Amino acid sequence: MVPPEYYLVLSSAIFCIGLFGILTRRNALYFLMSAELMLNAAVINLVAFSFQWGNLTGQTFALFVIALAAAEVAVGIGIVLVLYRNFGEIDVLNAATMRW
Amino acid sequence: MVSASAYVPAIVLLPFVSFIVALFGRENLPKRGAYGGIAATAGSLALSLWVLLSVRNGEAFQETYYTWATGVGAQDWTLTFGALIDPLSALMLVIVSLVAMLVHVFSLGYMNDEGERDLPRYYAGLGLFTASMLGFVIADNLLMAFMFFELVGLCSYLLIGFHFREPGPPSAAKKAFLVTRFGDYFFLVGVVAVFTTFGTAAFAGAESFPALAEAALNGEATVWTPGGLAESTWFTIVGLLVLGGVIGKSAQFPLHTWLPDAMEGPTPVSALIHAATMVAAGVYLVARMYGFYVLSPTTMAIIAFVGGFTALFAATMGVVKRELKQVLAYSTISQYGYMMLALGSGGYVAAVFHLTTHAFFKALLFLGAGSVIIAMHHNEDMWEMGGLKDKLPVTYWTFLAGSLALAGIFPFAGFWSKDEILYEALIHGLDEPLILGAYVMGLLAVPVTAFYTFRMVFLTFHGEPRSSLARDPHSVRWNVKGPLSVLGILAVVTGGINLVPVQKIVPSIEGIDFLHKWLNNDWGGIEGLSSHHYAELDPYSSQYLFGGEVPTVLAGAAVSLGLAIGGLALAWALYNVADPDEHTDKLGGLKALLYNNYYQDEFQVWIADNTRAVAGGADTFDQGVIDGVVNGVSSVSLLSSERIRRIQSGVVSNYALLLTLGLTTLLVVFGLIGGWF
Repeated sequence: MVPPEYYLVLSSAIFCIGLFGILTRRNALYFLMSAELMLNAAVINLVAFSFQWGNLTGQTFALFVIALAAAEVAVGIGIVLVLYRNFGEIDVLNAATMRW
Repeated sequence: MVSASAYVPAIVLLPFVSFIVALFGRENLPKRGAYGGIAATAGSLALSLWVLLSVRNGEAFQETYYTWATGVGAQDWTLTFGALIDPLSALMLVIVSLVAMLVHVFSLGYMNDEGERDLPRYYAGLGLFTASMLGFVIADNLLMAFMFFELVGLCSYLLIGFHFREPGPPSAAKKAFLVTRFGDYFFLVGVVAVFTTFGTAAFAGAESFPALAEAALNGEATVWTPGGLAESTWFTIVGLLVLGGVIGKSAQFPLHTWLPDAMEGPTPVSALIHAATMVAAGVYLVARMYGFYVLSPTTMAIIAFVGGFTALFAATMGVVKRELKQVLAYSTISQYGYMMLALGSGGYVAAVFHLTTHAFFKALLFLGAGSVIIAMHHNEDMWEMGGLKDKLPVTYWTFLAGSLALAGIFPFAGFWSKDEILYEALIHGLDEPLILGAYVMGLLAVPVTAFYTFRMVFLTFHGEPRSSLARDPHSVRWNVKGPLSVLGILAVVTGGINLVPVQKIVPSIEGIDFLHKWLNNDWGGIEGLSSHHYAELDPYSSQYLFGGEVPTVLAGAAVSLGLAIGGLALAWALYNVADPDEHTDKLGGLKALLYNNYYQDEFQVWIADNTRAVAGGADTFDQGVIDGVVNGVSSVSLLSSERIRRIQSGVVSNYALLLTLGLTTLLVVFGLIGGWF
């Protein structure tokens, strides 16, 4: 049996990749993908601990997170489309007018 | 059997509903609000009479309806609205609602028939005025009384300034409001002082402030006093503070100046203000908390002296006035002076008696004056009148009854009440020089009152008409004659509720001192609020002239009646001729002094001008310090937000960075505190 530390290392690695992507990229699609990576890092944690303690709640929760991620992508793609329609490109730094 | 006590709030709420209806119904109402007002006040009157009967059957009560604030910790005060129904308030309820209803009916003739505009606003004002006065009458604590006292002041402002398109009424309204507010300021401080001293402002019961004050003076209780002041001194100060409000509202010297100007309001409003509401409120307040005032001989003496002085002072000014309503205005100030004289000299019953009779005959005189003013096409100058006797018979005879009552001629209502006041002041004054001085001034005012009253009657109704208006007066309808007749009968017979002198002379007649028994709680009442209890507390002893009570009664009545008849006879000789001259012109400079009200108005303006520096300082303090703090707070937050908002760049990556940094910081802080490292 794989000890839980391995899963934790894997999940934090994936989370940091996702975070790096969000902080550095300007393309909105990269944003979506990075957010997806961070979500999945969290899901790995859930499943790992669920397996560790023999409790199915974590795995059930993982299913919910996957469904949520799907919904998030649906909304996110919509936003990306609107961005493209309004600015002609999908660079997130251009859409900076929604402030004071 | 339903108890009348359950309907006490309705007495106040009915006129209030008529106010709301008139306010929102505007011009669509029948008679533009008049019928609603009449119905509401008639309902109040019916309920008040029922309450009066139930008090007669021993059902006086005190009840708290609503507690709107409670203190915490050691200062466990409760601020409440409640009703105190005892013989005094039950009597006053009937007076107020009766006069208010008659004034509403009269307004049909004076306002509707004369084609005035904005009538819903007028009837809304009348409704609120009546409701606030009724609320003041039933109030069971000083704070509630203060609130309704202020409402009464507000309504008088609204109604005096009813004709706001003309220049006079708005400034008269402002003057009435400001002058009475000046007195009310002391009243407010007095209310706070009562709360801090006694922790309660209730009028009745073992835990009420008069009862606590009495116990404290007997050494049975301790109360807070500022700086260890003696209790009697402090009670005098508190009493005088509350008296400030009374002097303002009841138009006593030196705050009487607003009242003659208040004649700018419509005449029915003047009747209401002078007879039953507003001006009566001050005297009623002293009677309501009389158990507190009798504990302080200094305050009592001041009340008596101010009252006696005002009675004489105002009466002299009434002698020279040209306008009908001006004469009546000064007579009101003078008559309320008598009531204050009675209260100050220990004549609690006499004061309430005069309050009752005065309410009827003064309402009658004002409504009579209103009828004359209708007839004269709104000309009020008595020198333009004359000879109206035959053209306005109902007005003449009722006005005559009211005048005889005002002048104190036997056997009209005013004779009995004024005679009792002077009698009480005399027997208590023989020991106290100050009260005796007040008595002498009250006595001197009697012939002056009779003189100016009958000067007014003769100039208005007798002799030959002195103008074309007086030769062909406008006629008046039932809605003017009806209220006049009711009040005319009352002005003749009200004295019958308290024929004390007769009983003293002929002791075998039983039951003609009804009001004495009534206020003495003979038929039940609230413990500690009886005239008997007050008489035990008051600082006076009675002395009699000529070796006994009966000769004193007879001598007192003979002197005051003789003086009244003397004044009447002088007026008769001078003015009851076909074409009278202005005899007061012979007074020369004195007339100018009287006609200009002893230059009191100018004096007050002079005071105001010379205290402008103080007002300017207060304004600077307000603008600079108070507003400065408020503005400073707002500019600090404006400036800092101008800086801080720059982190809102609108760039989503920056937000993500901030989130990440924030989370990292949180983790580090928790780690340091939690000792993970």
